Amino acid sequence: MSIKNFTKRATGALLAAGLLSGVAQASDKKDLVLGGSIPLTGVFAFAGVGLHAGIQDSVKVINESGGIEGHKLVYIPEDTAYKVDASVAAFNKITSQHDVNFYYGDSTAFEKTISPEVDRSGKMVLTGASFASELNDPVKYPNVFIGGPSYTDMIGILMEHIVKEKPGAKVVLVHSDTEFGRDPVEGAKETATKLGLNLDLVISTAPGGVDVSTEVLKIRRARPDYVIFHGYVLAPIPEFITQARSMGLKTKFMGTFWSSDNSMVQKMGDAADGFMGVMPYSYYYDESENAPMLEKIRSMRDTYQSNAYMQGFFNTMMMAEGARNAIKAGKELNGANIKAGMRAIKDFDTGGIVGIPVTVKGNSVPVGRVYSFDASKKKMLPASDWIRLD
Amino acid sequence: MRIGTVKENYIADAALFDTSVQKGWLVALLAGLVLLPFFAGQYASYLACLVLINIASTTGLNILTGFTGLVSLGQAAFMGVGAYTVAWLEMKAGTPFLLNLIIGGFAASFIGIIVGLPSLRVKGLYLAIATIAASVILHFVFANWTAVTGGVSGVTMPAASLFGYELVEPKQVYWIIMPVTVLMVFGAANIFRTRIGRAFIAIRDRDISAEVLGIRLLRYKLLSFALSSFYAGVAGGLWAYFFRVITPESFPLMMSIFFLAAVIVGGMGSILGGILGAIFMTMVPEVLKMMVGVLTPFWSDAIAVMSPVRIIVFGALIIFFLIFEPDGLAEIWRNIRRYFHLWPFKT
Repeated sequence: MSIKNFTKRATGALLAAGLLSGVAQASDKKDLVLGGSIPLTGVFAFAGVGLHAGIQDSVKVINESGGIEGHKLVYIPEDTAYKVDASVAAFNKITSQHDVNFYYGDSTAFEKTISPEVDRSGKMVLTGASFASELNDPVKYPNVFIGGPSYTDMIGILMEHIVKEKPGAKVVLVHSDTEFGRDPVEGAKETATKLGLNLDLVISTAPGGVDVSTEVLKIRRARPDYVIFHGYVLAPIPEFITQARSMGLKTKFMGTFWSSDNSMVQKMGDAADGFMGVMPYSYYYDESENAPMLEKIRSMRDTYQSNAYMQGFFNTMMMAEGARNAIKAGKELNGANIKAGMRAIKDFDTGGIVGIPVTVKGNSVPVGRVYSFDASKKKMLPASDWIRLD
Repeated sequence: MRIGTVKENYIADAALFDTSVQKGWLVALLAGLVLLPFFAGQYASYLACLVLINIASTTGLNILTGFTGLVSLGQAAFMGVGAYTVAWLEMKAGTPFLLNLIIGGFAASFIGIIVGLPSLRVKGLYLAIATIAASVILHFVFANWTAVTGGVSGVTMPAASLFGYELVEPKQVYWIIMPVTVLMVFGAANIFRTRIGRAFIAIRDRDISAEVLGIRLLRYKLLSFALSSFYAGVAGGLWAYFFRVITPESFPLMMSIFFLAAVIVGGMGSILGGILGAIFMTMVPEVLKMMVGVLTPFWSDAIAVMSPVRIIVFGALIIFFLIFEPDGLAEIWRNIRRYFHLWPFKT
């Protein structure tokens, strides 16, 4: 072998080795970890199972399309039974065994409890099932992300829709007497004043209460155009609607995210027809153009997936996008940089999960659409365009 | 084999630990508790703290229910009183954590005495309902006394500090929780070597006979409520320093049922029973979770499928223990000890 040939072969071998090592480096990129305190059992299991499936599918889609800039995303869940101490135990277990970059919580109480620890560690961003308005504060909760509008913003979206349908309408807010239920009350009053709506009556019901005849009488006296329910999943909404209709009221009834799932609304029976709800995401069955991600979901799962599923899918997608932005900016992957990457998300195309491009504002994505239940089709169908709060 | 333990005087008869072997095990246990944070990870330290807090509260409920025979379902609400008191003192007064815990205990104790008043008239299920009512009232106060409790949003309190050093992580807070719980458990064990403890037991066994013997029911029943809720208040204070976020939903009725179950499963009227019950009720769900976790590498969706099964197994385990040993885990422990004492002969 001549010196020239040897040099050529050696150069070729070195190049090949270099390229191969490059490939090896690409595939050797550190896995990114998404930990989750997920309520697969307990009172919130109806949502937890959906959340879990949504996160799983979102992780699968992300990894099939090359991961997050070459980093494989790994999902490590633990069941919490919707108990704060079990959720914190799961957090400690997962974070002590893995280098966690993203964390999914199951409740407002958990997110509030663990937020100081998340800030202290500085390693991860925190999202979860909660849309609590209190968490929508980037100063107090710098590493928290709400995958949609806060509860106050949900009421705001419903009120924007009301104003378009009937300016100056009379509105009643009915909420459960829980932290979840009371969350948007003050915000709703402010929004009503700003939009010129008449919100004179706010009714609070005992948690788990089913006898609502006294409250329905108050509604009959007030004769509102709209009643907004918040802080419930199902009961006592059907009782309210049935009794109000039997009294001849022409009031329209509305609910926020957790009472707007299609399968849940169907359980309201006859009371469901015309019930309106606010959704930050498209429904599983939405047929709209340019919705490849919805089609992908339908190809992965051929039965209806709940709104909790969509939340799990969307939140995972957004956190991955935040990490992608941080990596592209050449920053270290820590909580602050991932969150900065999330705040940099502007007009992001979610592939139809949300019908319009989304932008992160504060800690949330204040976008939603009002849907109305069509009993003949057994579906929540769009009653408004997508509404973006500024 | 140990044939017997000779007790030559009354003090020896009333001693908490009557053999050198027992004392040796106790020293080993205390040494283990001291060394635990040096070897345990974050997760194990967290669980250790949680178990210790639950032991403190269960021991308190055991004084009331196990030793005095008064059923209470207000233990979680009393913990809430202690937790909110400690949080308020920590934020507004800035007093040392140890003082806060004691005041939290006394605040709960005061409420406990008021809640205990119906016990003079009613007992059994009726008293349980009365304590549930008190629990509902306290939850209403937690949710609506916004100036002190922060309303439904609750309060976020700063970490406890010792000589300017903040105790934030479970490994650090452990140094508050462990000694306080150990002291409280030893305190409870010693109560039953005194007239007060024996009065409680007499009331539990037959209150009319106790009164005939000169035990004033009013004083001792309320004292039992006060002691029990003091324990709950201190446990609530420890809980507050551990989690540092307190909301009205932090202390639900289910939590009271948890403590009552711990007392029953562990063994009513036994300090060891309260400890074993609290460990069982806290740790078994975690151990079952670990067992589900073992399946995950082979079955990717094991967690989703097996989690409901895990809950069923936990419930079945409680029923199993209650059927096969109604006197609780403490009796199982005593049987094991007896077996080894008399080995190789049959018990």
